[in-house]
Amino acid sequence: MADTVKLPEDSFKPITSDDRAALDSEKIAAPSLTFAQDAWRRLKKNKGAWVSLIVLVVIFIMAFGSIFVSPHDPNAVHPAYANLPSKIPGISINGFNGTLVQAGERIDAYKAAGASGAHYIMGTDYLGRDLFSRVLYGTRISLIIALVATLFDLTIGVTYGMFSGWKGGRIDTIMQRIIEIILSIPNLVVIVLLILILKPGMASIIIAIALTSWVNMARLVRAQTLELKEQEFILAARTLGERPIKIAFKHLLPNLSSVIIINTMFTIPNAIFFEATLSYIGIGISSPQASLGTLLNDGQKNFQFLPYQMWWPALILSIIMLAFNLLGDGLRDAFDPRTKE
Amino acid sequence: MAKYLAKRIFYLILTLFIVITVTFFLMKLLPGTPLTNQAKLSKSQIHLIYEQYGLNKPVWQQYLLYLAGAVKGDFGTSFQFSDQPVSYLISSRIGPSLQIGLQAMIVGVILGVIIGAFGAMKQNTWVDTTTTVVSILGISIPSFVLAVLLQYYLGLKAGWFPIAEWGGFIYTVLPTLALGAQPLAESARFVRTEMVDVLSSDYIELAKAKGLSKTGVIYHHALRNSLIPLITIVGPLAVNIMTGSMVVENIFSIPGIGEQFVKSVLTNDYPTIMGLTIVYSFMLCVVLLITDILYGIVDPRIRLTGKAN
Amino acid sequence: MLKQLRGVGIKMKINSAVKLGTVATFAAVLLAACGSSSNSSESSKQTLNWMESSALPSMDSSTATDVVSGETINNTGEGLLRIGKNSSIHPGVAKSYKVSKDGKTYTFNLRKSNWSNGDKVTAKDFVYAWQRTVNPKTASQYAYMYAQVKNANAIMNKKKAVSTLGIKAVGDYKVVVTLTQATSYFPSLVASPMFFPQNESVVQKYGKKYATNAQDNVYNGPFKLTYWTGTSDNWSMSKNTKYWDAKNVKLKKVNFKTMKDPQTALSQYQSGKLDATYLSGQQPKNYKNSKQYVERKSASTFYIELNEKKDSMMKNKKARQALSMAINRNQFVNKVLQDGSTVSTGLVSTGLAENKGKDFNTDAAVPSATSYNLKKAKQLWKEALKETGRSSYSMTLTADDTPAGKNSAEFIQSQWAKLGNIKVTNSNLPFKTRLARSQSGDFDAVISAWGADFPDPISFLSLFTSGNSYNNGKWSSKAYDTYVGDATGKDANNTSARWNDLVNAQKTILNEQGIIPVYQQGKAQLVKSKVQGLVYFPTGANWDFSKAYIK
Repeated sequence: MADTVKLPEDSFKPITSDDRAALDSEKIAAPSLTFAQDAWRRLKKNKGAWVSLIVLVVIFIMAFGSIFVSPHDPNAVHPAYANLPSKIPGISINGFNGTLVQAGERIDAYKAAGASGAHYIMGTDYLGRDLFSRVLYGTRISLIIALVATLFDLTIGVTYGMFSGWKGGRIDTIMQRIIEIILSIPNLVVIVLLILILKPGMASIIIAIALTSWVNMARLVRAQTLELKEQEFILAARTLGERPIKIAFKHLLPNLSSVIIINTMFTIPNAIFFEATLSYIGIGISSPQASLGTLLNDGQKNFQFLPYQMWWPALILSIIMLAFNLLGDGLRDAFDPRTKE
Repeated sequence: MAKYLAKRIFYLILTLFIVITVTFFLMKLLPGTPLTNQAKLSKSQIHLIYEQYGLNKPVWQQYLLYLAGAVKGDFGTSFQFSDQPVSYLISSRIGPSLQIGLQAMIVGVILGVIIGAFGAMKQNTWVDTTTTVVSILGISIPSFVLAVLLQYYLGLKAGWFPIAEWGGFIYTVLPTLALGAQPLAESARFVRTEMVDVLSSDYIELAKAKGLSKTGVIYHHALRNSLIPLITIVGPLAVNIMTGSMVVENIFSIPGIGEQFVKSVLTNDYPTIMGLTIVYSFMLCVVLLITDILYGIVDPRIRLTGKAN
Repeated sequence: MLKQLRGVGIKMKINSAVKLGTVATFAAVLLAACGSSSNSSESSKQTLNWMESSALPSMDSSTATDVVSGETINNTGEGLLRIGKNSSIHPGVAKSYKVSKDGKTYTFNLRKSNWSNGDKVTAKDFVYAWQRTVNPKTASQYAYMYAQVKNANAIMNKKKAVSTLGIKAVGDYKVVVTLTQATSYFPSLVASPMFFPQNESVVQKYGKKYATNAQDNVYNGPFKLTYWTGTSDNWSMSKNTKYWDAKNVKLKKVNFKTMKDPQTALSQYQSGKLDATYLSGQQPKNYKNSKQYVERKSASTFYIELNEKKDSMMKNKKARQALSMAINRNQFVNKVLQDGSTVSTGLVSTGLAENKGKDFNTDAAVPSATSYNLKKAKQLWKEALKETGRSSYSMTLTADDTPAGKNSAEFIQSQWAKLGNIKVTNSNLPFKTRLARSQSGDFDAVISAWGADFPDPISFLSLFTSGNSYNNGKWSSKAYDTYVGDATGKDANNTSARWNDLVNAQKTILNEQGIIPVYQQGKAQLVKSKVQGLVYFPTGANWDFSKAYIK
């Protein structure tokens, strides 16, 4: 068997620099990314979250920008122009053309009020104030309340919950009792009492919400910590002698992130809602200041006749909530190390 | 288990004691008087009436007297409703609040779980998007706005349900919907998030590989494991419902304790504030105790702390 | 039942034929038809469905303090006299009465009438009730209304025995009342619920439970309470067949329903569940032209008190006048409130009292103190700033956290802002908090309200004497104190001199701008046109249903 394999001449030849480059490109190596970069990259891929982020940024800019530039002064009163409905120039759909149904007939409210030239995008309220400016103003105040309350929620709640769950045993029991007691006082009781004892106003609302809102976060984080700390990777880290603080930040926190973020996304609407409920009860922000809650509450009272006064703030509130939630979902997917595609 | 329960009940009493103490002293800091006719009374008249009610005694004495009464089940007499014992006031008004609260909780959580589970199973499809939007809308609309919308469109315009007042079951439909929206939305989102996590975990892959039917996998493995974090939010949901009830009862003219509580706080009706706070705290304690016990049952990895000792 | 069902069937057919035949509209029609048919059959039986904005807290005429209790007690009970349309006085349990020359002794002759349990209503029932109310042990919050009755104040302060109260029963059917001084408005006091009789044996029998529910009580008025648990939001009363004038009472039943949310109340009215409802916020505007729309004037004035103890600015008369003149009250009442409220032309409410056919406010008006003049206001404000050595002034305007309170604060703040060199911050507080802060002097300017307890200007004017505990702004005037003192003292029994004192008192406080009157509250109401014969009066209990009927 003279099995001689005849190889063609060009089977072997010295490697050139071009060939080397081609080989390197076949190597499986992604650019090295930090945790945050990785999350950011994945967030951008999520269309819903990305749009939400942009919407939120726009709302923030408009709400806080209205301190400097506002279509009208949110507190300027023109009783003659009271309760004008929405009028957007160029649109003649009922509901946006300045007409409204009064006593069974559709009339041009602007003409009736002698304001034919004027147009208010969202209409005016009972004192003739521009609702658009007031909604911007109210959004700002609601956001401030919600964000400050959420900040408390995050810092106190997460630390407390992680510590309690991690330590376990007697410390956990005592900390849980404290939480239970705080949870067992209906938070509206404390909030209402505190606001009345302090002076009703923005600061006392923030303090009152903050003092009562962190507990849920603490409970959730603790429950998750309890579950996580019995898992193998934590056990491994412990066995290897890792310091608890390091375990908390390196192993627990990333795994807790989904719970924390989702709960944060619930805390923001909760805080805004709480403020709204307070204004319904009658201890909200003092007039002529406004929040989305007080605007909704005022609108709710006139819903039968002037529906736009409730729809506009409700729409803005819903958009904010929707955006926060979708962004929360996106962030959860982006942060969670387990959901790598 | 018995030992654990005894321990928890001891803590419950301790909790109530602390709640009473904190609320009592906070309440005494409220500006104004508990008198219903305050605007028309001069200082000397108020002083005379205070003397009659024992309100001019030092606060600590009033506190001890209150504690002594509370132990015997005597929560004092309401200031708003003259000569009505607070215990009677609460017992005659708690029924509607409990009914609506429970209905809202049950309907909300069950629907929420179903919607959430569907969303997770059909992840990233239009079903998922729809469930997400529905659940987000549920938490985007304050209950008083939702109540007004339901009342106007389903009550007044369509005439399907009574607009307000309290009668048979039909009267509870709109308030239950208004109150149930938030538990529905929150549990739907929670269940979806958890289930997406669980569905991508190894043991589900294993179960699938073993050839278990899809419903079997979902029902026996995914759903059960997704419900654990849900149990932890039942407590906070109960708080939400209590808060919401204060507004919803007002809008639907329901003779419950929610709107009564708000009125008591705004009129400084000290005995009623105390009585209702105790009732609310007690209910919350019970909800929390039940969720803790359930937690132990659903997730065998969590041991009840009492047992360890 | 059969008839009703058939009716529904027919309605269904017609409607579903005319409209879309979808399941949704079908169900809607069915339910709507059920609701309306059962409702119309009920209301044909002389039943009135009445709206209240808060629950009934008490049925004990000694301890009741609020409007809802007053209204209900006024219909289930009857005093010596009865208030009718426009606060006129009619005979009640007393057929007639006599006043002594010095105006201090009243003798009432009682008719023979019965309680709802068959007991006789006698003079002793009045003596018992009055003594019980004044007794400090009862802790009545309205006992001060008895101040004019002899020894009442001493009894309330535990200085004299309860039996010394100036009321005596002479036999079973004569009551003699002794007053400390002549009191021209005493008959209207006697007609108000806190002067109603109480049946001693019934009060004793039920003890602590007396008047805490519909059953543990007796009634001597046109109606008797038939449903009320003591804490319920709904209560109803039926015609009292034992009432002496029962043959003229046409309504069989009145159902009271508490609607705490105005939006809900209106919806209930629209769907036929209520025969009358109060309107609030922007609701009145939309019903202005409706035949069912009624405006009820109430005897309460909303005014601003300025804290003169705080600093020199509020002590400056020009500053106070400027603040008053800057408020365009007409615009506020007609463009913002629009609920039947009217511009206040004085502290005393218009329509409360008249002399020789002229209203009190016609005699005692000071136009400059209650009218709008921004130009002059600006100038006065400038002068005030100069006189007190300021370049600008910042202040807080305190008001209630009710919709009306917020509206007022927002509007007035915007008006004051036009004065220039002024910064006004608003503070809306719950009622009790607002009162507590006003009384302790913790405010710059506060919007207060006062409702007259009885139809006499003194009900308002007595508030602002120096050192009076209702005088939160601590405005003080010797002349004013003298006028009010004369009206209740030396001129008490001299009608025209007393009238002049009162007129001068109001002129003084307006000239000095001791307070800034803003508006007189009006209540806008919708009443179904089938409801006839309602009697409304602006003070006290407000409503009498004994003459009402359903057409």
